[in-house]
Amino acid sequence: MSALLVLALVGLAAAPMPGVEVTLDHARAAVGVGDRITVTARVVNSGGQRTDPLIAHLNVATLDKSVYVDLEDWTGSPTQELAPLAPGADTTVSFEIQAVNVGQFDVYVVVAPNGSSAGRGPLVASTPELVQVAGRRTVSPGGVLPVVVAAPVLLAVAAAAARFRLRRGR
Amino acid sequence: MTTTVVVSGQECRDLWVSGRGPLLLFAYSVLLSAVTYLTASNLAVNFLEQREAVDLVLQVAVAVGVLVALVVSADGVSGERERGTLESLLLAPVSRRAILGGKFAAALSVWFAAFVVSVPYLWVLARGVFIVDRTLLLGLLVGTLLAAGLVAIGLLVSAVSNSNKVSLAVSLFLLLAFFAPTQLPKLPQGFAGDVIRRVNPVGAGMHYLNGVVVSGFSWTRELSYLVSPLVVVVLAGGALVVFGSRIVRLTAGVNGE
Repeated sequence: MSALLVLALVGLAAAPMPGVEVTLDHARAAVGVGDRITVTARVVNSGGQRTDPLIAHLNVATLDKSVYVDLEDWTGSPTQELAPLAPGADTTVSFEIQAVNVGQFDVYVVVAPNGSSAGRGPLVASTPELVQVAGRRTVSPGGVLPVVVAAPVLLAVAAAAARFRLRRGR
Repeated sequence: MTTTVVVSGQECRDLWVSGRGPLLLFAYSVLLSAVTYLTASNLAVNFLEQREAVDLVLQVAVAVGVLVALVVSADGVSGERERGTLESLLLAPVSRRAILGGKFAAALSVWFAAFVVSVPYLWVLARGVFIVDRTLLLGLLVGTLLAAGLVAIGLLVSAVSNSNKVSLAVSLFLLLAFFAPTQLPKLPQGFAGDVIRRVNPVGAGMHYLNGVVVSGFSWTRELSYLVSPLVVVVLAGGALVVFGSRIVRLTAGVNGE
């Protein structure tokens, strides 16, 4: 019995983030490509021990294998450091992301131990937020053609006419 | 004041009626046409949506418009010296400050004309996303601030340069030094990156425009980024006013040596 207690205590001491839970503020979002949304995660230490410093990392997983996701395009800062959490304490962390691909994506936040417990896990992931990104009409080359042709032509004609008048006046 | 208006009228006539103003505008419109068409047709550039395209064309319009105005101002005094026309200009019954004021107005008119040329390009791109008003108004505001500051710097450089080549080279170098940081893929986050962004007037102006056009920020949210362009206008414009009568002068051995 005492051996079991010792083992349990050792296990608790070795667990870098016992009782840490991560939840996102929304379950779904529907946006257009190019829109920016803020994903806010609440990190709670519901265990009885103070955690080590933590790392919160946002990730975007495509639900359509034909769509390639480059996280750098979605956010410039996917990783944020969190201070150690006392038992019962909580904190929130926000990520601003820009939807740069059309399709359906799971966006989630993973919390990992840092500091002296770095690399020992376990990782705690939130439930994902389903982000549906709709396409949007982009510029059509045909639409700009009249302007890109007419403007230089009109300016050239005006400049030539001014020069012609100047020469006639001399 | 009246003499400044007279001088600026004459300078504008020289530039727009018998000078290279129309040719510069034509070249500017050809460049904008190419950029606008590529932006609209190139999927790699246009992968996001129209706001990105509007921002790209606006930044090119402002950057090149300011560049052209700077080139005209850098030729202002040193060019007259080299062509041997400064002497007759100095004999005219106008103050040297009025001469500088007239040259400043003429160079700035190049920016305003360039902006007018850029209006249809920006309109055709921005109308689909309903940001025509803010794009044009804020583009005019930021571009005018940048143009006024850089034109004043160009005139100062031109007045103290012995040769037109030196004046143009120094002015273009300054412009490149201001623009280079805006082409970096990403400035460092945090205090240092923020300082670099805010201190460089061109970078700060471009950052402000990007925030309003692409991110949809209100025009007041990042207004503090326009402090450095404003400071350049005040400092360079103030230097022109204070030192103008002393630095516009003939230099021995420049012409007719």
